[in-house]
Amino acid sequence: MSVINAIFKKELLQLKRDPRLIGFIVVMPILFLILFGYALKLEPENVKMAYLDKDRSFFTNLIKTNIWMEGYFQLYEVSSKAEIVEEIRSGRAKAGLYIAADFSSLLIENAQPHLQFYVDGTMPSLTTAMKNNSSSITDDAVTGEMYFLDEESENIIIAQDPFIMDTEVLFNPDEKETWFFLPGIIGVLIMQVALILAGISVVREKENNTLEQLIVTPMTKTQFVIGKTLPYAIISLFEFYFILLLGWSIFDIPMPFEASGYIFLLSLDYIGSMIAMGLFISMISQTQQQAMFLAVFIIIPSILLSGLIFPIEAMPEFIQPVSYLLPFTYFVEIIRGLLIKGTSIADLWIDFAALLSYMLLFTLLSIWRFKKYLH
Amino acid sequence: MIIRTQALSKTYNKDNIIGPLSVEIPEGQVFGLLGPNASGKSTTIRMLAGVIEPDSGSAQIADMDLSKQANAIKNKIGYVSQHFGLYAELSVLENIRFYASLYGIVDEMRFEHLLSKYELVLYRDVKAGKLSGGYQRRLSLVCALAHDPTLLFLDEPTAGIDPVTRKKIWDIFYTLVSEGKTLFVTTHYMEEAERCNEIAFLNRGKIISQGTPKSIQNSLLNYDIYSFKQAFEHSMLEVLNKHTDIVLINQFGYEVRIMTNKTFHEDPLKHLMQPYVEGEVVLSKTEANLEDVFIALTQEVEE
Repeated sequence: MSVINAIFKKELLQLKRDPRLIGFIVVMPILFLILFGYALKLEPENVKMAYLDKDRSFFTNLIKTNIWMEGYFQLYEVSSKAEIVEEIRSGRAKAGLYIAADFSSLLIENAQPHLQFYVDGTMPSLTTAMKNNSSSITDDAVTGEMYFLDEESENIIIAQDPFIMDTEVLFNPDEKETWFFLPGIIGVLIMQVALILAGISVVREKENNTLEQLIVTPMTKTQFVIGKTLPYAIISLFEFYFILLLGWSIFDIPMPFEASGYIFLLSLDYIGSMIAMGLFISMISQTQQQAMFLAVFIIIPSILLSGLIFPIEAMPEFIQPVSYLLPFTYFVEIIRGLLIKGTSIADLWIDFAALLSYMLLFTLLSIWRFKKYLH
Repeated sequence: MIIRTQALSKTYNKDNIIGPLSVEIPEGQVFGLLGPNASGKSTTIRMLAGVIEPDSGSAQIADMDLSKQANAIKNKIGYVSQHFGLYAELSVLENIRFYASLYGIVDEMRFEHLLSKYELVLYRDVKAGKLSGGYQRRLSLVCALAHDPTLLFLDEPTAGIDPVTRKKIWDIFYTLVSEGKTLFVTTHYMEEAERCNEIAFLNRGKIISQGTPKSIQNSLLNYDIYSFKQAFEHSMLEVLNKHTDIVLINQFGYEVRIMTNKTFHEDPLKHLMQPYVEGEVVLSKTEANLEDVFIALTQEVEE
């Protein structure tokens, strides 16, 4: 027992003498609890909805107002039905609404007109929430109002369901869950490999005293950084395509060959940004343990705040910037766009540029930090 | 001179200042930098090898300026850090191959020659992490020699090594010197210092003496060394410690060595010691060794 006690005390002392690690152990749970406690909601809020109301009647205004009031959607108008789908494809909107020009006339004739909803099928929680919440649009408040306005007309009988709502799940009509998650999961797996392997790469050299031996050679900082990261880049690239092919062959993930060039570009862009980030982690860590903690510090929020599982729009406004600080958020947007939605590159270039910026920023920071790290 | 420094210094904080160091080291010899722990030996060797940047002063290595021609210097020097700085997962040959390739050397014949010359042939495919401490040192040395440098910096190259292996490593050092190389070695082993052609004593970041081991031994002018046969006797040592002319007492088995001021007289001491010694007290004046000199010099600096 005294031996266990001695080891126990020694471990605590070692922990106590590593203030950075203590910081991670204390700060990380508190920060994550606050962040995720506020951020993680399956119920969407303020989701952008592109709409076209060709009827522009009292009834359709009533429907739109009610949608807005529910707080789930923020409506903005577009000029054509095709544009609604394009807005969702580009990622600018996650949902859409189309009201045909004959909506009111059919309603008055009690012919149960159709209300066309569109939802982005690549957002897992959005589709479910949309279906669950759409009934609110036809609740008593709306139908009662409609009935009240038309009850004086003897010729009109308002049906119990005055209109029919059609919800079209775009890009993933069968609502395959693997299509929701798998493209993003590829990014998570790559993040683990690239971020952690690169994250411990330099600090391991320092811990093993090999770094000092390297410094006295004519090797330059750039040669060192490239030489250190290239193997992890190749491993990550191999893994990226391996998981993609597995997803394709086992889970029927769409493989748009016309987008293969952009997918390759994405793999380079994303892997590059992750490795650069990992390298920087390695440069600011004193031990492999610290590097691992820092990597986890990025991986967990990336999974939960990137829009992979929970819609970013549903997060409070003060959390949303955190989402856009994570490179993984841009990866999720691009991979879903390329594989599932068929988004054009014109709508994704900002996401590509964001990843590229991360790659450049963290590479430069790593090279700058390298000199300080050595001395 | 293969190394020339002018007021080279590095400051960590007000209590930890290395330098200013001004030394000149001729080529083709083993130069030893001696000092107690935390005296600044590693910082000095790391500044000269280009691992860390000095805060002020200048240094010329092989007639090149350290601050301006660092890359050219790197091709001329080899460095073995205090800790085992090799890749434990790589084999002996892979380690040599890797370090040589950093200098653009891809010469399997040379690697085989190095393996054979430094008796590592049998361990060629053994992972470096599996080697004994002595062979790990040997491998570190071979890796530092892979590009055939003219100047080798060796930071405590025999620390923790048994005397037999230490002797073998020193034999290698002499071979290297006979081939025209210069070795800059740090150590805190005094018996190793005696093996160097020239030494410098470093204390609290300052060089307090420099010269050949013999000349430094002879430089102990203010003190005398006496020895006498006596088993450890705590109460007697307490009496000696209180003696104002005795600077230092060292017990070596059945022998006690004392360092005294020049004002010291034997007879009063003999009288003091008599109650603890059977028979007559025999004090013999003896030659100072490097350890005596180093302690004396350190003491003078402290005072």
